[in-house]
Amino acid sequence: MTVIDAHALAGKGISWAEPQREVNYDPAELVERSIAAGIDRVCIVSPRSADYPAANQYISNVCSRQPERLIGIAVHHPQREAGRIRQMLDAEVKSLGLRAVRSDGHPTRELLDAASELQIPVIYYPNRKRGAGPGRWYHMIASTYPHVRFILPHLGEYCSETWWGHMEALDLVRRYPNIYLDTGGIGSLKYLELAAKELPPERILFASFAPELDMRVGVESIRLLHLSPERHAAIMGENMLKLLRNS
Amino acid sequence: MSSRRDFLAQGGGVMVAALAGTPTQAARRTPMIDCHAHAGHAPALTDPWTTIADPEEILRRNREAGIDQSVIFPISNDTFEKANQEIAGICRKFAGHFIGYAKHDPETEKGRIRAMLIRECNELGLRGLKLHVHPGPEVLDTVAELGIPVIYHPARVALIEEISRDYPTVDFILAHLGADMSYDWREHLAAIEMARRHQNVYLDTGAVVLTRYIEQAVHELGAEKIIFGSDEPEVDCRLEIFKIRMLELPKLQEEKILGGNLQRLLGKYRGKAA
Ligand SMILES: [Zn+2]
Repeated sequence: MTVIDAHALAGKGISWAEPQREVNYDPAELVERSIAAGIDRVCIVSPRSADYPAANQYISNVCSRQPERLIGIAVHHPQREAGRIRQMLDAEVKSLGLRAVRSDGHPTRELLDAASELQIPVIYYPNRKRGAGPGRWYHMIASTYPHVRFILPHLGEYCSETWWGHMEALDLVRRYPNIYLDTGGIGSLKYLELAAKELPPERILFASFAPELDMRVGVESIRLLHLSPERHAAIMGENMLKLLRNS
Repeated sequence: MSSRRDFLAQGGGVMVAALAGTPTQAARRTPMIDCHAHAGHAPALTDPWTTIADPEEILRRNREAGIDQSVIFPISNDTFEKANQEIAGICRKFAGHFIGYAKHDPETEKGRIRAMLIRECNELGLRGLKLHVHPGPEVLDTVAELGIPVIYHPARVALIEEISRDYPTVDFILAHLGADMSYDWREHLAAIEMARRHQNVYLDTGAVVLTRYIEQAVHELGAEKIIFGSDEPEVDCRLEIFKIRMLELPKLQEEKILGGNLQRLLGKYRGKAA
């Protein structure tokens, strides 16, 4: 079984999570902790940044030092960087070796066209008002770009802020074959249990959201589902491996 | 006058062995107690916590986690007389597995809480109070007389400042380390600060996603001020107890957090002549 953490963080910037704060996530410590937690490979992404080209270059540099351990993911801001994304992403995938893109803001046609051409997954956690679920933000992009594979982090609701955010995420996966959920940062495990019970097992991806959150908690959350060895292995890494292989 | 012995007689199980005198070596083990769980029905049907919380679901996970007892109190109702009776009934039905607390709303039940709470402790065997709404003297004078702990989930951590100062003999357990589901990390820091300044403020560890603040709380305040809780059945006690275990604390410190501290607070129960 290869264990792949589908969503972790490295580098300097502003936290993805609200309330925002300045962060500086040390990739060396991340690798150390991942080894201790029994994780083979970690997908790393930059925190929010005012300069994504530089942040993505940093992620690429870190990954190239430990390619057997780290997988790099680019980030772009579809509105702020409009007009330049296709070209940047092309280079980041083909030259820098990044394997997916996280969208900091609602994905535009430009970003999705580029992801579609490059055949890379798009990670998108809709930023929305407190109390609103992710559903509205996914219907148009998932139906318009059926060949783009989307990863919705945190089972749709970071820290389980609302229970219906998770329920909307589960419903999105049922409706669209191109939506995947990652499991990092879930407060209320029963929605992950529901997901594991009700959804196709290949659509759930183990993630820790470390070092913002503790990797060991992420691993334990999946263990507590008491899945068959096959399903467990799929969620812990095989699913993500397949997603990345297609890219 | 109700006594500690009455409580032990009806509590049964591990608490009896652990609190009553001359225990055997095995029985002297500190019980593992979850200080924060909900049970029973509510009428509104808008959220899980206004619908139902199933005690058998809690017991199933408790068995897997090795938790001996859970403190249970009602989910969200407008008033709580019936819901508290249901809690007492669940404690009787699953004797030894649960410790019942009352819950009250100091606004909707104003003026009636004192009489209800005395009866709920003396006659129904409840041993603490859960609050969401800010309490006034009616509630706090009564809990001080009864010698029961208050587990309080305030809208903001700062709300606990004055009451914990004005009622130094009342033990306040601040739920969720001050921030349910870690919705705001600054509230975790405020909670740690509050427990540092007030000898009678304790922190419950349930439904904390940013676990580094549990670690910070233990290191800065000592294990004595930290009490394991989960917020079952909405939050899984198996994962919440893992968050304590992964701190890899010395055994004695871990035992305090997982049950010893709460056991000590529950031992202050005096009851009160009606
Ligand atoms: Zn609660």
